Amino acid sequence: MSSKLKFGLIVCVWLVFAAAPFYLSDYGTGLLLGMSGYATLATAWALFSGPTRYVSLATVAFFGTGAYTVAVLSEVMPYPLVLLVAAAIGCALAAVVGLSTLRLAGVYFVIFTFGLAELVRQTVTWWEVNITHTLGRYIFLPLEGRHIYWQLLALLTLTLIISWLIGRSRLGLALKAVGDDESVAAHVGIDVTRAKLLLFMLSATIITLVGAIQAPRWTYIEPSIVFNPTLSFLTLIMALLGGPGRLWGPMVGAIPLFLLFEWLSANFPNHFSIILGLLFIMIVFVMPNGVLAKFDDLRRGSN
Amino acid sequence: MLEHLINGLVLGGTYALIAMGLTLQYGIARIMNLAFGDTIIVACFGTFVLFSGYQLSPLLALFVLVPAGFALSYAIFFFIMQPLVERAPHTAALEVDSILVTFGLLFVIQGILLVVFGGAYTSYSFLNTPVDLLGTTVAANRLSALVLALVLGAILIFVLFRTRWGMMLRAVALAPESAPLYGIDVTRVARYAFSIGGALAASGGVVISMYQTFTATAGVVFTMKALIVVILGGKGSVFGALVAGLILGVVETFVAAYIDPGLTLAATYTVFLGILLIRPTGLFGKGG
Amino acid sequence: MKAQLEITGLEKRFGGLVAVNQVDFSLAKGEVVGLLGPNGSGKTTVLNMISGAIAADKGDIVFRGTNLSRLKPHRISKLGVARTFQLVRTLPTLSVAENVLISFAYGRRRLWGREADTLVEEKLAFVGLEGRGGERVGNLTYIDQKRMELARALASEPSLLLLDEWLAGLNPSELQIGIDLVRQLQGEGVTVLLVEHIMEAVRALCSRCIVMNAGQIIASGESAEVLKMPEVVRAYLGDDDA
Repeated sequence: MSSKLKFGLIVCVWLVFAAAPFYLSDYGTGLLLGMSGYATLATAWALFSGPTRYVSLATVAFFGTGAYTVAVLSEVMPYPLVLLVAAAIGCALAAVVGLSTLRLAGVYFVIFTFGLAELVRQTVTWWEVNITHTLGRYIFLPLEGRHIYWQLLALLTLTLIISWLIGRSRLGLALKAVGDDESVAAHVGIDVTRAKLLLFMLSATIITLVGAIQAPRWTYIEPSIVFNPTLSFLTLIMALLGGPGRLWGPMVGAIPLFLLFEWLSANFPNHFSIILGLLFIMIVFVMPNGVLAKFDDLRRGSN
Repeated sequence: MLEHLINGLVLGGTYALIAMGLTLQYGIARIMNLAFGDTIIVACFGTFVLFSGYQLSPLLALFVLVPAGFALSYAIFFFIMQPLVERAPHTAALEVDSILVTFGLLFVIQGILLVVFGGAYTSYSFLNTPVDLLGTTVAANRLSALVLALVLGAILIFVLFRTRWGMMLRAVALAPESAPLYGIDVTRVARYAFSIGGALAASGGVVISMYQTFTATAGVVFTMKALIVVILGGKGSVFGALVAGLILGVVETFVAAYIDPGLTLAATYTVFLGILLIRPTGLFGKGG
Repeated sequence: MKAQLEITGLEKRFGGLVAVNQVDFSLAKGEVVGLLGPNGSGKTTVLNMISGAIAADKGDIVFRGTNLSRLKPHRISKLGVARTFQLVRTLPTLSVAENVLISFAYGRRRLWGREADTLVEEKLAFVGLEGRGGERVGNLTYIDQKRMELARALASEPSLLLLDEWLAGLNPSELQIGIDLVRQLQGEGVTVLLVEHIMEAVRALCSRCIVMNAGQIIASGESAEVLKMPEVVRAYLGDDDA
């Protein structure tokens, strides 16, 4: 397929999706909304974790930070400004976490990100209880499902473009080198910590924005809702199954899995997390050479 | 002041106990078990059921739950971890696989607990009588928790450093590649280390349930604290886990008493990051 | 002549083991110098400290007026020091050309795009991998991986090149090709520090040699003379009576 034709096709598909709220029911739009949210999360997750192989379990820490920022600020600031502030907070949080853990071995990073969501959740709870004396918050923003969906679609498009650009840039090459052998990467002149930090901050900022954009869907939020670790877990599975080394991989993983999870949570609301866990254990087993090899296979295939 | 110190030691003793379990799993069996804290919570609920349903004292519950923790961990290792260990081409691959599988396991265990017990805070009242100690009053359940943690820790240290079997465990921890040359079946040792780690988690759960409230979703916090203690103490160092556990417990108690109870986890993380940045190998790990 | 690299009082300990002890030497611009010694004598540790892979405990490494001893590897690389590794280290998910391109992209001139691609092809041709840039690294033979590693080091456009047993494991005809490549580099004014066990290559390439044993320099001077010294022979053959 010529690249022009491919581009045309992508634009057509994109237009079909962008126009979807006009011909779909509210329920359909709601599904698309959730789907584009997870597609963005998985793509953003893979932006950092794909090439570097640092498995981040902190997705929900950033997502929740974004959602909470909107809840706190939406009454005192215009909406676009709130989104900017949320992005800035997510970016700063990622900088602190990255600076303190990315210089260390990968396993420390995993452990730290694993606990980060809980840390942020407890800190936010403490702040709300002691400083502002509230816990739950209402979000009153004049945004309907389709408005949120369009914002997410725009963010997803932006994320894919960024991911594509990085893949073709010297930074993209550097990140692959870092994933292969950090020491060699450093010896050819790459500032390894800086490259990792940059990507982690970028990925975290996008994830924070997803949380911020989706927040009005809830109307009422509290820390235990927006810092639910299942979200980190789902994002991880989607990106892994779709292929974290490919541009379209995480999105391709996100769409069917989102529908599956949606169906599971509707039909087995009480046993959702058990099924999810079992499914995930099975997935690790199905990958014959382990999950790490999956990073390589797909990257090889994409070259 | 003294009261906080004693409470800190109680907490620290518990942390040391569970961290010793995790250090066996991570240092010897090479499994980074993110579901470790959920094993602890299972034991908490187990004690709760035995105590409120069958009037079984937590001290006696130990004799049921510790073997059960051992058996459960043995099964988990045998059916889930061992295939992963055998197929892993190198440590990094095993590390990622085990992290992800135990992440899945965490959701399974948590899900089961939520279905059975719901998400509410749970506790029971056991030995809630004040005891006079060095001029300050401490609850009897806390005191017995500390004693229990110390006794179990002492048994573990005796086994590790005074028996042939413990020597084998330590050999695998130090040199997993060369241990087979001395006729040590590394997989078998790893299986037992993982299981003993699970047994220690269960005993930690029993101890914790004696003086703290717990919920089905609290596992993450215990996993994190145990991990932090393991890293602080130096990976695979039992003595390090003991000291680091006590330090963490005291720090947390003082933060809770003098600053704010809501900030204990933040304090824990600060200590963790501080140590990692200054000394990535932990307080008692080997320098390099 | 002013030294290009000047090392003074270099020291490194690993726990109780003194790996490198009071090492001093200097290299003039365009020199090819051999760093010899039995296994475990501290040669690679010295190389690792120059390239920044490990930090020195004591001492100074001054390269063209800059002290490298506190710098990270990527800073050192940008100053014009490149290296190869004792066991070939490739970037396996990158293509052969990308393995070389990465050095240009993060080298002194930060080259990217068409100009860099042309230069990559030039470097590949220089090491004898002409037209093979699109191949997977895993498909290369051992010698070709070594060639690629040299091309990657050269793409950093170094003034000092550290070769860690780069000629080891080559058959006689490959060895001759390897020696010719290094000689050609010397002709271009690159200073080379050569850690090597193959005496034939050392004799052919190095005007000067430095010999280490147990972390210390035991001899240095003109190659022909140094290689004849009794303490050097003893260090290599062992000082047992046998």
